[in-house]
Amino acid sequence: MAVADFLITLVTFIAIYSLFGIGLNLKFGFTGLIDFGHVAYFMVGAYVTVVLTLPADAPTYGGIGGFDLPGLFAALGPLGSLFGWVLGVLGGMIAAALVSLAVGVPTLRLREDYLAITALGIATILNTVVKDEDWLFNGPYGISGVHKPLVDVFPISLGSFTVNMAVFGLLSVAIFGYVAYWLVNRFRDAGRTGRILMVASVGLVSVWYFVMPVVDGGGTVELTKNVLWLFDPTAGPNGGLDYDRFVLLLSLGFLAGGYHWVERTINSPYGRVLRAIREDEDVPQALGKETFQYKMQALMFGSALAGAAGALWAVNIGFVSPDQFASTITFFAFTAVIIGGTANNKGVILGTAVFWAIRNGTRFIDVPSQYSIQLAAARLILIGVILMVILYYRPEGLLGEQDYDIDLPTSLRGGSDDV
Amino acid sequence: MNVLGIEGLDAGYGDLQILTDVDMTVGDGEYVTIVGPNGAGKSTAMKSVLGLTTYMGGSVQLNGEDVAGADTNTVVSKGVSYVPQTENLFSTMTVRENLLMGAYSLDEVPEERLRDVLDRFPILEERQMQRAGTMSGGQQQMLAMGSALMVDPDVLLLDEPSAGLAPDLVADMFDKIDEINDAGTAILMVEQNAKEALRRCDRGYVLVNGENAYEGPGTELLEDQEVRERFLGG
Amino acid sequence: MVDAGLLDATVQGLITGSIIAGGALGLSLIYNIAEVPNFAHGDMITIGAYLALVFNNPGEIPFLPAFGSAPLVAAAVVGVVLAGVLGATYELTIFRKFRKRDADIITMVIVSLGLALVLRNVVLFLVGSKNIRYQSASVSNTNFDFLVTGGGMTVTTTQRQAGEVVTTGQWGYPWWLLVGGLLVAAAVGYGVYRAYRREEGFDTVYLVPPKILGFTVAAATVIGLGAFVQLAPQGTDPIVATRIGLSIKHLTIIGVVLAAMFVLNVALKTTKLGRAMRATADNMDLAEVRGVDADRVQLLVWVIASMLAALAGVLTGWFATNLTPNMGFTLLLPIFAAVILGGISSPYGAVAGAMIIGVSMDVSVYLLPSHFATYRVAVAFLILIAVLMVKPEGLWGDV
Repeated sequence: MAVADFLITLVTFIAIYSLFGIGLNLKFGFTGLIDFGHVAYFMVGAYVTVVLTLPADAPTYGGIGGFDLPGLFAALGPLGSLFGWVLGVLGGMIAAALVSLAVGVPTLRLREDYLAITALGIATILNTVVKDEDWLFNGPYGISGVHKPLVDVFPISLGSFTVNMAVFGLLSVAIFGYVAYWLVNRFRDAGRTGRILMVASVGLVSVWYFVMPVVDGGGTVELTKNVLWLFDPTAGPNGGLDYDRFVLLLSLGFLAGGYHWVERTINSPYGRVLRAIREDEDVPQALGKETFQYKMQALMFGSALAGAAGALWAVNIGFVSPDQFASTITFFAFTAVIIGGTANNKGVILGTAVFWAIRNGTRFIDVPSQYSIQLAAARLILIGVILMVILYYRPEGLLGEQDYDIDLPTSLRGGSDDV
Repeated sequence: MNVLGIEGLDAGYGDLQILTDVDMTVGDGEYVTIVGPNGAGKSTAMKSVLGLTTYMGGSVQLNGEDVAGADTNTVVSKGVSYVPQTENLFSTMTVRENLLMGAYSLDEVPEERLRDVLDRFPILEERQMQRAGTMSGGQQQMLAMGSALMVDPDVLLLDEPSAGLAPDLVADMFDKIDEINDAGTAILMVEQNAKEALRRCDRGYVLVNGENAYEGPGTELLEDQEVRERFLGG
Repeated sequence: MVDAGLLDATVQGLITGSIIAGGALGLSLIYNIAEVPNFAHGDMITIGAYLALVFNNPGEIPFLPAFGSAPLVAAAVVGVVLAGVLGATYELTIFRKFRKRDADIITMVIVSLGLALVLRNVVLFLVGSKNIRYQSASVSNTNFDFLVTGGGMTVTTTQRQAGEVVTTGQWGYPWWLLVGGLLVAAAVGYGVYRAYRREEGFDTVYLVPPKILGFTVAAATVIGLGAFVQLAPQGTDPIVATRIGLSIKHLTIIGVVLAAMFVLNVALKTTKLGRAMRATADNMDLAEVRGVDADRVQLLVWVIASMLAALAGVLTGWFATNLTPNMGFTLLLPIFAAVILGGISSPYGAVAGAMIIGVSMDVSVYLLPSHFATYRVAVAFLILIAVLMVKPEGLWGDV
């Protein structure tokens, strides 16, 4: 498998988990809610979307639905099934938000550590329900044959091999160019440690991506494949844009949408109240704000984002099962958010990327299969240690808290003692 | 030798400096007050003796021994005992246990001194087994002071002892403090109620903006025109 | 054949509760005094169990030469001591540093999560994921059948020996003895209660709450009478019958945990260091002002809590027969539920909370259709959530 394909899968995962993390960041980083049950909404979003878009007579599925929304709308035209899928995703997001509403009612008034534990407990209960109630969503067997939007359209080919290579190749290089431009801008703004980190990481990735394939024996063919990453020469008779790449673009699109939406919220007066609640709930309450409602809304919004991420996850993997949604997923998201920068959406993306790089990067280490458990364990030990180290030496994360358009009044930002 | 000597003290919290070049002494058996406007650093000066602030310079001496920047839990065995303004009790523990905790730094429980304290504050004897947090404000203040006296300190540090007390209890509180002082314990007291404090004390310091402003016998400060205008409401 | 019923489920629940209590005792210390909601506690339990395994059954662990095996009790003692050393390490290398920084409760939670990840995967790394068991003497289960008949109550004990069900004993209690015995026990219990109780009025504080002492003495009297005054069987035609299964294992677990609870409570209430620990939990700054070395107290807290967790781990491993790297983590939620339910600030509260959780878990599994057996842990949670909605500070607050 070309390195490009590996990278595409990796970046897709990073995009989906980043969306998950941005939802978590809204709850935790900006509003101060420790939701240890966040993965439950990932699960609800995935399952509900899948069930809403599954064909009515799906084989081996014994649960409620297949409501076949894409099929329903297919009659409206070629984009009808896509519309049906989007409706399914919306359904998943709304379901996730509603579940979080039910969770929030008993838990949001509790103090923060009790909130964390009860949220975790409820998520565990929900997972058990999905796993054990076969009649609901097929129980432990999960649901396979997840509807993939527009899958029949792909691979997209524009005619001949050369045309495909030219067009998609050009697009690939253009995107590389834009990324390079963005990196250079950030380099200019970064401090000394930032610059060193950037040079190191970009350098490593570049060597791994551009140089290694040539050295490893693939020659210029491999290099070309990597450079023209949007173009998959093996997709169909003439090569073209295959489905995996579409899913990547779809995920990135969702991530961009979610990111933009959260950024706008955070930088509005509404977002300012959320941040005030995080600092000291008594203050906005004294000013007459119904803090419970704000917290609930943040909870629902963040959960809806997790639900959207869940829908993408289902499309990416192709099947859903309860084991994919264990509580440790939430903890990994917390790790990513904290590493990258709590209350910093860019930080969430960076942290998720770092986290996944560690998790998947070590897969390249050649180790006899009898030690695979040890390798997996070592990876998690490393992540646990990094988490503690970052919390101590740089608790604000790699990027620190982001800047806002509207700042909190200075009296709320860090208290002052009586003298 | 002074029981407590503060010289050229710079102190604050974290990066924030509150006190600049503060001097203060408390002689053996003396009754000294610190008054001044809010935010002047009165409590900070007191807390610096206990090592509860960030030490930035100068000297703090107890019976001649330098304790500036020392660990808080080591200071109590050097002759000083402290009653904070708030949260000055172990509210989940009984009255008796609070008193025993007062004597924690001693090797053995001083039965005689426990007797003395209970005699001085009879209300505590009645309620020995009562949970401290369920007592009234005045009773809690008695317990806080009683606990501090268990080590028979050379100097007793009191941070706004009348704060939050009902007006009729305030006079009783100051009477008790007079009693303790008459028995030989030096007193260093921060007080918001400047009139009463200056009336009863031997000497007073007025701190303004973290620096020494005035010093002198209590009665003199009470009569001083400037002091009266600025801090005593004319 | 007599069926195991509600009573048996309750007894099972008490044992489950004891195991949870073992963890809850340690967690309540850390939660209350160190102010860390310790999400690594489950994995500390696991580590304790595996430490004992190293000395008891080293052959099962890769990387280790098989250097012979120690009896479980000895291995447990060594394991508990080593766990204490580890606890000191956690405090010195991790939690002390964060405490010096005045880290808030959220940070402490996530730090403990990081530690949990590390501990669990160290076990996984060193031992792998296969099921392992302790080498210990096997303990046989005795079934007690209680038959209420026209004449009174008949008790039959049976055991499985060499594949056969063998009746090992049979006796009974006529009605007059049953009623009389219960009355005597109630009287004794009440008498103890009155004698032990001091003047009411000012929220007095006891070593053992008088009501609980009275109740315990009454229960002990019942059991004592039942053990020593055994008369002829009263017929075998039951009006009502039930069975409970008990073994030395069960009684040991309950006994060890109750003993630990009692010792901990006495230490906290009567010793100078125990007072210092409670004072630190109440008001750390004031404790320092009064001369308590809070750092030393916290170190002690982590050592004791780790040792208690290790003890809970050994008991769990012994009871469940198998050790797995996840064994502690699966207990984490019920343990937190127990501590929050019982009020963070007291060993008695933690154990009481654990018993409530344990009994409700096993009784609900008994009462619900068998399909719902996997919701055992969920029941613990539902109870916790229900209690927190009514009383956010827990059932007891301060015992």
